[in-house]
Amino acid sequence: MPKITIDGKTIDLPAGATILQAAQALGIYIPRYCYHPALSVSGTCRMCAVEVDKAPKLQIACATEIADGMIARTDTAAVKKARKDVLEFLLANHPVDCPICDQAGECSLQDYYMDYGLHKSRVAPEDKIQRSKHRAAGRYLVLDNERCILCTRCVRFCDEVTKTNELTVSGRSDASFIDIREGKSLDNDYSLNIAELCPVGAFTSRDFRFKQRVWFLKRIKSVCTGCAAGCNIEVHYNENTVYRLMPSPNPETNTWLCDRGRMTYKALQAGDRLRKAFVKKGSMEIEPAIRHAAHLLDEAARKTGPESVVVLGSPYLSIEDNLALAELAATSLKTSNLCLDFPREQGVKDGILINKDDAPDANGLKLLKARYAGLDQGALIELINSGRIKLIVAEARALSSLKEKLRELSNIETVILAVTKSDLDFESACVLPYAANFETEGHFVNYKGLLQKTTPSVAAPDGVKPLWTVLSKLSSCTGAPIRLEDAAELRERISEFIK
Amino acid sequence: MSYKISEKTRAKIDELRKIYPQKEAVLIPALHEMQKEAGWVSEDAIDALSACLGLPYARVKGVVTFYTMFNRAPVGKYHLQVCRNISCHSMGAPRILSHLKEKLRIAEGETTEDGLFTLSTVECLGSCGTAPVIAVNEKYHENMSVEKTDMLLRELGLQQ
Ligand code: SF4
Ligand code: SF4
Ligand code: FES
Ligand code: FES
Repeated sequence: MPKITIDGKTIDLPAGATILQAAQALGIYIPRYCYHPALSVSGTCRMCAVEVDKAPKLQIACATEIADGMIARTDTAAVKKARKDVLEFLLANHPVDCPICDQAGECSLQDYYMDYGLHKSRVAPEDKIQRSKHRAAGRYLVLDNERCILCTRCVRFCDEVTKTNELTVSGRSDASFIDIREGKSLDNDYSLNIAELCPVGAFTSRDFRFKQRVWFLKRIKSVCTGCAAGCNIEVHYNENTVYRLMPSPNPETNTWLCDRGRMTYKALQAGDRLRKAFVKKGSMEIEPAIRHAAHLLDEAARKTGPESVVVLGSPYLSIEDNLALAELAATSLKTSNLCLDFPREQGVKDGILINKDDAPDANGLKLLKARYAGLDQGALIELINSGRIKLIVAEARALSSLKEKLRELSNIETVILAVTKSDLDFESACVLPYAANFETEGHFVNYKGLLQKTTPSVAAPDGVKPLWTVLSKLSSCTGAPIRLEDAAELRERISEFIK
Repeated sequence: MSYKISEKTRAKIDELRKIYPQKEAVLIPALHEMQKEAGWVSEDAIDALSACLGLPYARVKGVVTFYTMFNRAPVGKYHLQVCRNISCHSMGAPRILSHLKEKLRIAEGETTEDGLFTLSTVECLGSCGTAPVIAVNEKYHENMSVEKTDMLLRELGLQQ
């Protein structure tokens, strides 16, 4: 393996590695704009130039492969001057509107200027070539060509990752700019990654823009529950509000995030978020509604027997919540009508990330099914359609997924568990809200069988509790508690599933 | 799509594809052929070529707009292309350019009403040794000065 020395430190790396990668491995930071580890190398920005022994001029670290015995330096006067010069070029026509730019705080142009530039501009503002100012560039993006440094990361992303080719560099030299075809917009399923990989404030997110200065944001790692891919995310939040989701790259799951996944946090603040319970369409405090639900369960069992009640698990719920549902059926209601059977077609849908299965936990549900068995879905549907069932307890999306196969739900009472109103697509006698995945810890098993957990970043609305707590209370009201009073008890009980 | 690549040009493109295994490499010569025929490269022409070569629109658009040789709009009988690059710039191109604007009463990128002249600036014409240079269609006029430019305009039929 070739051995390279950078700034006096030596490392062996497989042939084909670049100086930039070697520096990274040595813990030496080389500034860069166009280089992105997940995209092809383009070598357009020249920011990464380093001195290499015996080379007649500076070499770009991102595109120069290491050779045995190579000696490179990143801290010489020539390198510093080159960085300064590159920055001067990049800023020559830049509007320097940082105070009103939403990238401030995470802008490489700003950061590098402070680290390596600090030059005075030699171009008077009136001599600057003006490019177009911000405009919507798609459902989720704003493009401000004036701030673009033409690193082409965005172009390469659309060419190489989504292969949708929306973008190009039009024109040439100081007249070049990032161009989208007249009348077209940048609407691929992964467009928000562009706001993230744009090193400056040229592409920004319409959703996140001006909501929060980035230096106020706190970050916590979690998992997206928008589909079975189980992408790892970083939740950016402040003062009990989530502001955006970013990928937390994991070779097992994801480098990027899809736009829908990035937007899943919107449910938290959505206008139709359930903050109270609903009983017969009337809003009700949660505690009395739980008592009402317990009453419905008791009534049904008393009048028509426990076997007239059905409890559904859900591929949309965590192992914790499904465990509570299974326990509710087995321990409290003592009904054998529990269904944990939700076969789903899984697999990457578009060759990138998005899974055919939009439920995050069909595989976690299988673990519970192995332990609790219960009815097959076919048998369940037959049972419900037979008219013998009087009451169903279910998470909203799980029941919706069966709706087509069910005859008339209107003569069956339902106790529905839901986070937002939009999840409800049928009438229900009683709707109980519960905490969303950003508000509580939960375990999920992705389509590859990877067990992961969400980490809470914000608190649920007042009085809204995790589903397992809601179900535990419900069970207590029926007089046969499932005993999931606190997190310690819960952990103990799910331990067999999350080994 | 209203633009159709003519049989003749298509045949030429097919020939080019045999020489260049990479589709991208065919772009420039193919665009030259298309421009020769239509005088300029329209949006529709870009679509037609991208379909013909199986390249994304954006790829073709980038190339068309990079090279000043490709006209994005119809041009007049004489296309005056003033080199704006370093050598020509330092040898007086800006003066010649402003003189041309004054004489023709048009801005860069515009065509005179009589359809005789189009004025544009272009990048280095590869003739730095004889800067400043004006190309009229394909013909170079070298070592230009304001006086020589006036002579040129008269020769080309500018009515005063
Ligand atoms: S818009 Fe951003 S990502 Fe695209 S070329 Fe400009 S600076 Fe780079
Ligand atoms: S692919 Fe699925 S898991 Fe990944 S970000 Fe999108 S919705 Fe979330
Ligand atoms: S990072 Fe190396 S040239 Fe841009
Ligand atoms: S700069 Fe004008 S020909 Fe080279």
